[in-house]
Order: sequence, then C-alpha cells, then structure tokens
Amino acid sequence: MSAALDRGRGMAAVADHDPSAVSVTAAPPGAIRARRFRRSLLVLLVQALILIAFLAFWEYEAGKSKQSAFMFGSPSAIWSFLRKMILDGSLLRDISVTGLETVLGFLIGNLIGTFVGLSLWYSLFVSRVVQPFVIAIGSIPIIALAPIIIIWFGTGLASKIAMSTLSVVVVALVTSYKGAIGVDPDQINLLRTLGARKPQIFSKLVVPASLTDIFAGLKLTVGFALIGAIVGEFMSSSVGLGHAIFQAGSLYAIPKVFASLVGTITLALVLTFVVGKIEQLLTPWRRAG
Amino acid sequence: MQTPIARAADAVSNTGSQRQGAPPLAVEHIAKSFFTADKVTPVVGDLSFVLGKGEIVSIVGPSGCGKTTLLNLVCGLIPPDAGQVRWHGQPLGARGFRPANVGYMLQKDLLLPWRTAIANVKLGMEIRHIPKAEGNDRARALLDQLGLHGFADNYPSTLSGGMRQRVALARTLVNDPEVLLLDEPFAALDFQTKLLIESDTVNLVRDSGKSVLLITHDIEEAVSMADRVLVLTHRPTRLKAAYDIELDAPADDMIGLRESAGFGDYVRQIWSDLDVGRA
Repeated sequence: MSAALDRGRGMAAVADHDPSAVSVTAAPPGAIRARRFRRSLLVLLVQALILIAFLAFWEYEAGKSKQSAFMFGSPSAIWSFLRKMILDGSLLRDISVTGLETVLGFLIGNLIGTFVGLSLWYSLFVSRVVQPFVIAIGSIPIIALAPIIIIWFGTGLASKIAMSTLSVVVVALVTSYKGAIGVDPDQINLLRTLGARKPQIFSKLVVPASLTDIFAGLKLTVGFALIGAIVGEFMSSSVGLGHAIFQAGSLYAIPKVFASLVGTITLALVLTFVVGKIEQLLTPWRRAG
Repeated sequence: MQTPIARAADAVSNTGSQRQGAPPLAVEHIAKSFFTADKVTPVVGDLSFVLGKGEIVSIVGPSGCGKTTLLNLVCGLIPPDAGQVRWHGQPLGARGFRPANVGYMLQKDLLLPWRTAIANVKLGMEIRHIPKAEGNDRARALLDQLGLHGFADNYPSTLSGGMRQRVALARTLVNDPEVLLLDEPFAALDFQTKLLIESDTVNLVRDSGKSVLLITHDIEEAVSMADRVLVLTHRPTRLKAAYDIELDAPADDMIGLRESAGFGDYVRQIWSDLDVGRA
C-alpha cells in the first residue's frame, strides 16, 4: 500500500498505466525511483542533443556567406550580443520592465475576468444578457485597439498594462464562467439537501470546482499577457523587450533581435513555471491521485 | 402473503389512519410530468405511500420508470404537479420549507475532490455552522465506525470505490438525519463490498431508529434490506404492488437473508411484477 501511494505521488495516475510499471511492482521503491531518474535523464539528454544539433547546423550555414550571416544571424553572434546585453544591464532592465507590465496586466485581467465570470453563475438571466457582448468584445484583435489605448493611457507603463489586461480579461472571464456552469447539478442538489443556500453553494462548491478551469485559463493567459505587453511596446516605448526587438529589427541587427527573443522566452518560461507552482500549491488534491 | 393489488390498496388507505402519528414521510397522490420541446412526458402518475418511523422501505421499478424524479419530488428539489408530500404531517410548500433532517445519497458518491475524507463528512455541519470541534469529533467517530480509521485525511482520489461510498455514507449519517433517501447507493460497488456496506447501513440505521427510503434496481438488495418493498409500474409510475418482507435471519446477515426460506419467492414474485420482458 505505502509503496503504491509513493509511486502515485510522483507520477500521478500515469504510473498505474505505464506498462513498464507492472514488471517493477515487486521491486523496492528505491529501484523504481532510480529507474525513473534514469529515464528522465535520457529524455533530457535527447533534448540537449536536438538543441545542439540545431545550433551547430545554424552556425555552419550562417558561416558559409556574409549574406546569410546578415540575414539569419548566427548562434555565436547572438551569444555575443546576449553577453553584452547582460553585462551592460540592458537585458535585465528590459526583462524587468516587460515582466512588470506582463504581471500587472495578467493579475488585473485575471482578477476582473475571473470575478465577473464566476459572478455570472449567480444569474442565468444576466449571463444570457451579456453573452453577445462578451463574444463581441472577445473577437476584437487587441492590436487593433493599440492606437486608442495609447491616446487614452499615454506612451508610458499604463498603456502597456492596459494592452496586457485587455489581452487577458475575456479569456479569463470565459474560462471561469465555463468552470462555474460546469458544476455537477447532482452536487448542487446534494448541498441543497444539506441546507446550503446560494451563497454557500457558491463559496463551498462553485468556486473550488472552477479552480481547474481557472488555472487552465491562467496558464493560457500568461502568454496572452506577454503578447499584449510586447505589442504595446512595439507601438511606442523607450524601454522593454518589445522596444529592444523593434529597434534592433529596424536597424537590421538580426542577432540582437534573436538575443532579445531569448530574453522573452526566458521571461515566458519563468512566468509559466511560477503559475504552475502556484497551481500545485493551491490544488494539492490533484497531486494525491 | 396477500395479493399484491390488495396490499397496494392497503398501503394507500393506511395514509389516512396514520396521520395522527404523523409518519416521517407521507406521499399523497403525487404526479409529475416533464415538458420537452413540443411533447409532455408524464413521469409520475398518482403515487402514494407512507414511510413509518424506523422503517426501511425499498422502491423497485423497471428501468427508466422515474425513480430519481420521485426522489427529487420527495426531497422538495422539484415541485409536484399534483398531490402532496408531507414530512411529519407538514406539507412541503412550494417555497421556503425544506424537509429537515433528511440525508440524501446517490450512486455517485459526489465527494468533493478538493476536500479530504473528513472535510467531506463535515460539509453539512459547516453549512449549518456547527462548532468546528464538535463537527470534528462526530466526523472522526463515524469514519472510525465505518472502518475508515486512518483514512480521514486522504483525498477521495486516493480511496477505493467502496471507501469513497463509505465516506459518502458517513457524510449522510453525521448530520443525524431522521430519514435517509438512498438512490441506488451501492449499485456501482462490487458484490463483496456491497454486502458489507449494506449490512453496515442496516446496523447503523436500526441502532438509531432512522427511517430509510431505498430506491434500487437490485431486487435482492431491496428484499434483503427492507421491511417493505414497493413495486412501481412503467411510466407514468404508479404503485403496482407492496410486500411486507418477513425473513428468518438476522437483519444484518446479508448472506443468511439471501439463503433463508422465502427470499427466493419474494425475488421471483417482484421480478414478475416488474414486467421486464414485455417492456
């Protein structure tokens, strides 16, 4: 029993369906752990090999002529730009500015979207009334709003946060509303027979039951928030990753564009990782299976 | 044994004579239809029965005869088109009044996955603002009694089907309901687990003098657990027959009851009442 639980904690339900796990059920937990460790090491190794092969191919092709080096950059040129940007502190400054815009837009957009989405559960009437408006607003490409946003919010931080918030809010609203109305009606009936009124059904059932969908939305909107912030920086800015990419692109400094992209990817990965960690902390029951 | 029809008539006429004592639950001539798109589907048609104090009554009926609708009517989750449901003589109004002290349990355990076993058991007490310490003690005692000692802090996803259904039973019983409404609660369990939980349920219910309305597909379960079995017709559901079950074995001995003389006769008779072949 304890060995089975142990296994479950690491790999969730997957371990039970893994055909190779059948043959090792009799093995001591230590051996199972060692085997799993070797396997994930192998995955990591193959991934590293693919990356190295890709970079080597790129470097080799770019080295063939001056034109291709100019058009496509090369890993070594990107690296030297990256080094310079790290050393003079511009990369860190750009990442932290864009990161701040993204995080604020992400938080504001998700707070508003989730709050409204969950609240719509309360009234079928209101949710039916607002449905076409939500769909209409959701179908606007955010980039089309950028000129207005700059007029309204100026060229500073606020306009980027507004862009980022707008990219997030409708998705957050829709995913949380979907979660709220997806609650099992039998579970609602059960709570009613236990004497619960609507506010208690909302707080004890609807909100926690929607967490799965809300977190799916959060993971999705990390990327949207970043896109919003960078598009905002493209329009007008003096700092940030979007600014760096736009400026380098205008100057045909292709390796610098890629170097800033590496910074963007790093930021996206860090933010996604943080959201995943928060999800794990807030939904401990999903690891227990 | 009287003829089924005569007994059914008895059960209906009893409604009047027992009113002074106000049985926990009396269902009087209820009917319910559902409207879908352009047609009306009558689901329950003129059904009456009484659940006395300390009584276990089973309801069996052909598949799709509206047993779950009946349960929802009895709980007041949906209103009947005609007739009345009385709890302790008090009619279930359209609004406001909810039957007090009713436990409700379905085939689906409906455990909340984000709550541990004990937190699921405490759900009803939380809703009614019973002090935490008291709720904790009651929930833990009941889980121990149902053989779940040491699993109180497990999430439902780490429990077996039988254990989960025991947690659901504890969640129902911890509120000390006078009446239990069970809708095929054991149908998803394997045979061994089912017999064990059936006998645990009978023991807990008999010890505390609770009344049980057990809706089931399983004729053997109905006959072995109940004092009285009501057989329903196809839709629109009416009462077809009623049997007082008298078997010569301890009430919690699920195998002994199944082997006792007369068990097979009840099962065969109810099976033929159900009219399944001609459906």
